[in-house]
Amino acid sequence: MMDLQEFLALDADCDTEDQVDLRALEFVSSYDSHLMCPICHCPFVQPVRLQCDHVFCEKCLRSAITTFRSAESDEFPCPSCRTPTSQVSMSVPRLLINMCDEIQVRCPLAGEGCQELIPRGHIQAHVDKYCGYQLVPCPDESCDKKTRRKDLQAENRCRHSYCRCSRCEEDVMEQDYEEHDKELCPSLETTCTGCGTSVLQRTLETHIEACPEVVSSCAASKYGCPTKIRRAEIATHEQQCPLVAIGPYFEAQNTRLNSLELTMRHLQQRNEIFEDGMANIRTTLVESSRIGDRNGTDFADETEESADRTSNVFSSNATTYLLSLHESLREEVSQMSHALTDLDARASMTIMNECLRIKEDMAHTNAAVNSIRMQVQWLMNPRLHNGTRAGGVRPNASTGNESRSQLASAPGPGNVAGPSLGPLRPRRPSDSGREGTKL
Amino acid sequence: MSQKRIAKELAELTESPPEGITVELADEANLYEWKVYMDGPEGSPYQKGKFLVKLSLPTGYPFKPPTVSFATRIYHPNITNDEKGSMCLGMLRADEWKPSSKISAVLQFARQLLSEPMPDDAIEGRIADQYNNDNNRYREIAREWTRKHAMAE
Repeated sequence: MMDLQEFLALDADCDTEDQVDLRALEFVSSYDSHLMCPICHCPFVQPVRLQCDHVFCEKCLRSAITTFRSAESDEFPCPSCRTPTSQVSMSVPRLLINMCDEIQVRCPLAGEGCQELIPRGHIQAHVDKYCGYQLVPCPDESCDKKTRRKDLQAENRCRHSYCRCSRCEEDVMEQDYEEHDKELCPSLETTCTGCGTSVLQRTLETHIEACPEVVSSCAASKYGCPTKIRRAEIATHEQQCPLVAIGPYFEAQNTRLNSLELTMRHLQQRNEIFEDGMANIRTTLVESSRIGDRNGTDFADETEESADRTSNVFSSNATTYLLSLHESLREEVSQMSHALTDLDARASMTIMNECLRIKEDMAHTNAAVNSIRMQVQWLMNPRLHNGTRAGGVRPNASTGNESRSQLASAPGPGNVAGPSLGPLRPRRPSDSGREGTKL
Repeated sequence: MSQKRIAKELAELTESPPEGITVELADEANLYEWKVYMDGPEGSPYQKGKFLVKLSLPTGYPFKPPTVSFATRIYHPNITNDEKGSMCLGMLRADEWKPSSKISAVLQFARQLLSEPMPDDAIEGRIADQYNNDNNRYREIAREWTRKHAMAE
């Protein structure tokens, strides 16, 4: 067991240049997922153990500690179970290490040609000492080149001098000569797969382009013709192939589509510019209408005014801008006048309705007043008669006055009571009573 | 370190993908942005929908958690109801993430969340309320959204 400081201080001893990166290896056989480090998902490399019995590669744990350790405490959470941990144990069961080292891997020089499969534990030794494809320094000390181990051969001499190929007259390095002589030399003869004639390697490509026996595809293959026949027959096929016949049409359509796409892109750009302009106009409109609303009711005047103002703001801009602004303002004004006439019509309608109602009321009231007048007259009649009978005491004129004032006051309560005559009736006795006491 | 592990997990996921999940890189040259297609689980209102989920891995992966967001709009209590579609997974929070968690597990958990939302841990409180109190209506809307956004015509 050691604490985190000690563990992190161990850093120096790993990661040297020549070391095989065990995590980059290709694992041939499958391995138990329990042998996999939960952090790098590779079989454990130099495993270490925590207090909670979780195991990680040494290197993985180191980066985990540096990421998770809190500054103040000397603890970090286990990457698997989050147990606070301050101790690392370097000793893990031998069994675990053995199982990890036993997993078969492909030699990292497989790309160079090494086909060997080796247990992971031995890969370092294989690369360092045995793999024939590993580059080693040239045995000749004056030569600074490297050569593959297997090319060194028994004589162990420098093979980096150039010699001339007898056929193609090219300079080839001695260590590559054998391969060049057997496979790569452009002056080697080779047979065409189609017609079977032997041609030089360097002319093979041009031959295949023209060879009548090579299978090639129809000229309309890009339009979907699946035909693949010998070049000699392709001419007759192309005469009948409907896709070849229609080919030029497709071609024309293609170019048309392309040009249309181009114009569309242009239009899109223009549209975007216009939309930007519209948005600008709209914001200024909103501003100006806000000013208009605040100032009062004379919409037309206000918008005219705000139009002036906005045109002042945009005086630097192009005239089209102003024109469109003007247009939209005009539209707004016409909308407002519409709204005004609408309101006007509605208001006059309501006024008319109200007038009718009031007229009706007036007629009712008139009728009521009339009937009251009749009744009063009828009531007054006998009293007038009485007055004339007791006439010696009172002069005629005063009774006339009285009756006239009664007449004048009668419409008063009549108006309040409206057309109904109900409340008038109980009034009569008291009225007459008062009249009686007065008299 | 992170690249190797990510490549490994990607290879595993493409070779033997979990049920209802397919994975690919958003851009072949960038290991850190993944496109995940998730089939709506059977029996959930998301059934038959195909949801595009964006998974992005931080450079500090596996020490930092990945982020998962739904590029396809979805009606779900634990997924924000906007263009971002951010998903709230407990295991993806920085203080709960463990480097030993695998992307495959994250994705399976996310899919599990589709069939069993967690209204107590919701990000969209309104949908969570509806899920609790008016489940039928919730299922109806979720189905509707799935039809509208997650089904190719």
